[in-house]
Amino acid sequence: MVQRVWALSLVTCKEGIRDRSLYGIFLFALFVLGLNVAVAGFFMRDLGKVTVDMNLAALSFAGLLLVFFIGINLMAKDIDKKTIHLVLSKPFSRGEYIWGKYFGLLLVVLFAQVIVLLFSCATVACVHAMYPGYFTSFSWPVFFIAAFFIYLQQALLCAIVVFFSSITSTSFITLIFSMASYIVGISLEEVVFYLRTQAATEEVVASATLHHTLEVVTWLVPNFAAFDFKIEAAHGLALEWSRLWTSCGYGVLYICILLVLASLIFKRREFN
Amino acid sequence: MTEIILNSLSKSYKPSLFKKRVQAVDGLSLKVSSGSVYGLVGPNGAGKSTTIRMLLNLIRPDRGEVTINDQLVSSGEFLHDVGYLPENPYLYDHLTLRELLQFAGRACGLSTEIVSRRTQELTEQTGIAHALSRRLRTFSKGMRQRAGLCFALLHDPNLVILDEPMSGLDPLGRKMVCELILDLKQQGKTIFFCSHILSDTERLCDQIAILHQGRKVREFSADDLSAFRAGERCLEDEFVAAVGQSNVTDEIQREVD
Repeated sequence: MVQRVWALSLVTCKEGIRDRSLYGIFLFALFVLGLNVAVAGFFMRDLGKVTVDMNLAALSFAGLLLVFFIGINLMAKDIDKKTIHLVLSKPFSRGEYIWGKYFGLLLVVLFAQVIVLLFSCATVACVHAMYPGYFTSFSWPVFFIAAFFIYLQQALLCAIVVFFSSITSTSFITLIFSMASYIVGISLEEVVFYLRTQAATEEVVASATLHHTLEVVTWLVPNFAAFDFKIEAAHGLALEWSRLWTSCGYGVLYICILLVLASLIFKRREFN
Repeated sequence: MTEIILNSLSKSYKPSLFKKRVQAVDGLSLKVSSGSVYGLVGPNGAGKSTTIRMLLNLIRPDRGEVTINDQLVSSGEFLHDVGYLPENPYLYDHLTLRELLQFAGRACGLSTEIVSRRTQELTEQTGIAHALSRRLRTFSKGMRQRAGLCFALLHDPNLVILDEPMSGLDPLGRKMVCELILDLKQQGKTIFFCSHILSDTERLCDQIAILHQGRKVREFSADDLSAFRAGERCLEDEFVAAVGQSNVTDEIQREVD
């Protein structure tokens, strides 16, 4: 089983890495990072914070583009063009196919993230060397932890893509559902936080039903904000281990649940 | 040795949300004996590919069952011993042929040595050994078909299922596929294939069934095929008569309804 999953992961990874769209994403990331070095001198204060923030945002955005525009295609193309008929005529179970595709996607994202991260480190080091006074509280370990959680966030997004690909028959619907999940997931924590504040009770009339609905939605939709450590990295703040482990465990558990559900759905699916 | 039994198989599907259900296969029963070559012929849309997909458990029948060596295909156990070539195979564009065959080998649990040996043998036999390091997206339609054949046969399966294997091939390619099928037959493999090229089907098969609008309208035994080959009867005439007669019967049925 492991051999088959690995074989499919490797094929998916090679297909993803050799896709020309990947070069476009790299060029975009390089442009943002180059821009960072070029405009660094224009900021009068908090230069270190802006640099770290911009680099992590570039890393995150490059990953999002990769998952949405290459990741979705890697799975949808198999179904659209019926390559899946060839694959499933080999001794693959439907579950093995789902896990194989997922790990393949993870490898593609890892490959791209490592390359963008290398450029990002070079950018930060460059600005650091040019303006050392602004980087007094900067910490490389916290920067790398924040980068790791961006990867974990994208791993979760990959699982969402695989889950929706197992349900829908076109890549467009998968794209819409995955994007919607991401947007809701990234902003949900702030909405819930706002509604629980005193200011909200004075400004908006939120019914009990709305509160209950939000409670349910917070359990269903992945909370992407749990993987956001950009502020800590920008200010060089210390991180609590308990928070790191909780976020990590939450991400891994959510991924496993999504993939198990995708496998069960895929098992029942017909391929015309 | 592999034996296939299709028992009263039916399958319908909805082409889209607001369209009427289409009966793709309707009460199809047939038996493919071990070591024989069985050809399913029929006009476009007869239900040949749907039958193959049910055989491979890619879709489930509404009624009836498919067994391979007395085991239901839904168990999936049979896949270790099956090689499948779809019609117009779409292979992974960015992989080289060697990488594709390595993937097939790994998926079937073959050792690296066996994969290398089989890759060499099959690519030489199909005439694409020179393209082993080329990416599949640079392949012509015929080369893709040959690559698909290598992918299907790499693990030396006992049951070979081919959907329109001659599609997109030039006369040399067609000859190569015919020789390959005859070679597999000599090795005792069971072969089930769909085609609408009657001359090749007549030459290769031990049994032929004509499928029309999802139903088996005629079946020819080995004796019938001997008569075709001897020129006493003509498969093309029988095919036209069977499909034509079926059309007339349907016409009458519609009138009655």
